Amino acid sequence: MTASDILAIPRPHIKTYAFSHPYWEATREKRLMLQYCPQSRQYQFFPRPISIATGRRALEWKEVEGRGEIYSLSLTHRGLGVFEGHEPYLVILVRLDVGVDIISNLVHCAPKVARIGLRVKPWWLPLEDGRHLLLFQPDGEDH
Amino acid sequence: MALQDSVIAGYAETKIAQRSGSDPYELAGIILDSLLERTGFDKSEIDGMILSPSLTAARTTFWAQCVSEFLGLELSFADTTDLGGCSAAGSVVRAAAAIDAGLCSTVILINSDTPTMSYGFENYSFHEEWADPYGLKGPPGAFGLLSKRYEHQYGLDFAALGKLAVTQRNHALLNDNACEKLRRAITVEDYLSSRMIAEPIRLLDCVMPADGANGLLITRRDIARKRNLSRFVVPIGYGEVTNMSGGASVVDITTTGHRVAGAKAFASAQITPAQVCSFHPYDDFIIAIMLQLEMLGFCKPGHGCDYIREVNFGHDGDLPLNTGGGQISAGQAGFAGGGTNLIEAVRQLFREGGRRQVKKTDNALVTGIGWIPYGRNWCSSVALILAPEA
Repeated sequence: MTASDILAIPRPHIKTYAFSHPYWEATREKRLMLQYCPQSRQYQFFPRPISIATGRRALEWKEVEGRGEIYSLSLTHRGLGVFEGHEPYLVILVRLDVGVDIISNLVHCAPKVARIGLRVKPWWLPLEDGRHLLLFQPDGEDH
Repeated sequence: MALQDSVIAGYAETKIAQRSGSDPYELAGIILDSLLERTGFDKSEIDGMILSPSLTAARTTFWAQCVSEFLGLELSFADTTDLGGCSAAGSVVRAAAAIDAGLCSTVILINSDTPTMSYGFENYSFHEEWADPYGLKGPPGAFGLLSKRYEHQYGLDFAALGKLAVTQRNHALLNDNACEKLRRAITVEDYLSSRMIAEPIRLLDCVMPADGANGLLITRRDIARKRNLSRFVVPIGYGEVTNMSGGASVVDITTTGHRVAGAKAFASAQITPAQVCSFHPYDDFIIAIMLQLEMLGFCKPGHGCDYIREVNFGHDGDLPLNTGGGQISAGQAGFAGGGTNLIEAVRQLFREGGRRQVKKTDNALVTGIGWIPYGRNWCSSVALILAPEA
């Protein structure tokens, strides 16, 4: 597996829910926006129509750095959809420092280096329509 | 207690097969006919029906109505338990609740599905937006992430997991209703060397899709008594949780809802895990069995592999496990698959297990697992404890 395999895969057009709109618009500028519930002081991901903590609609969008660590990972040998023929590839579950989990892929990293606990930061993959897909790469010297 | 005022009067099951040439209506008809034959009930006495969903029929939102028409049933209560792999066990207590509320008196539970003939299911959820763009490969992908995290926190002995796979396979060899394709012996080495799907999930960790149906007839205790049925089975304990910690943004992925569901079920049945006579856990992946052993209290979290190494799970062993082979070795009959292990538990309590009959039939523990949320283990967990009455 090489990272370029993951980057070469043409990602399908991504359909979104209306309440995800601010997230996707921010990706045009490679900015990571998360929903934040001021009452519970909790970030949440993926975007929802309400705060999952309170059930109320009083949500804010806040920009975050997107730094965190790999919570888990799985090398996938039987690809899904457009990923077929590009196996094996790495799917990761990232736990951001602000307290949300995000499913993604790891790039710019030798497979042997990928491990639970590895510090990561965002890397944005351009999509055809000007939006970007949030991927992660090793953060700083940790690779 | 309301749950115990309803009894399971009979069970029915078709053979599980790939590309069966059938459809969910035909298989449901076979279940109805079989239940009437077995229990001596007349069709007109059935006034309630609860179904599991069907992957084949997933395009219709009128599933219960369609089945009632195809089977010629007039009902005062009809419903579908929409809990994925928890539907079959969940339907048992929903039937009991409906009977207790006076909505109906005799309920047919039917789980019927033919996904290898026709597959109508589509996710309308987070997948298209948040999982598919990253190539997360459905349930195996999610269980890969879950397993890797478990391994990181506690370590994993894959030979111990292989022992579960081999035990269940040996049980399928004794089950004529198991899918023929799977009725060949395997070894731990076969398990370990089976090809990787999503590390560390191997082929022999996974269920194989198939077609099949099963069902139960549940009625009021006094009706069953009047029938002079020689034996019936009673739900004595139940627990259910959907979307545990649903208001939290991060959780420990190795903690599942069976901790909550199991505690409730054991409390209501007034037994402990050590008293369970046979264990029929939902098995979509081998590691799910181990996690349930931990969460239900058979052993401590993180000690699943140690426990598996010590225990004989054979039908004649310490804790008989999925004595029909489970879904992993009998085949997963789509959403009817949630009923496969339930029916086997009921069969054992009727003492009709034949060559694989367990010795102790004071009770049986059945579980369900339903759906996989974003980045977590599973959404619904149920635990159902059954006991026979003669």
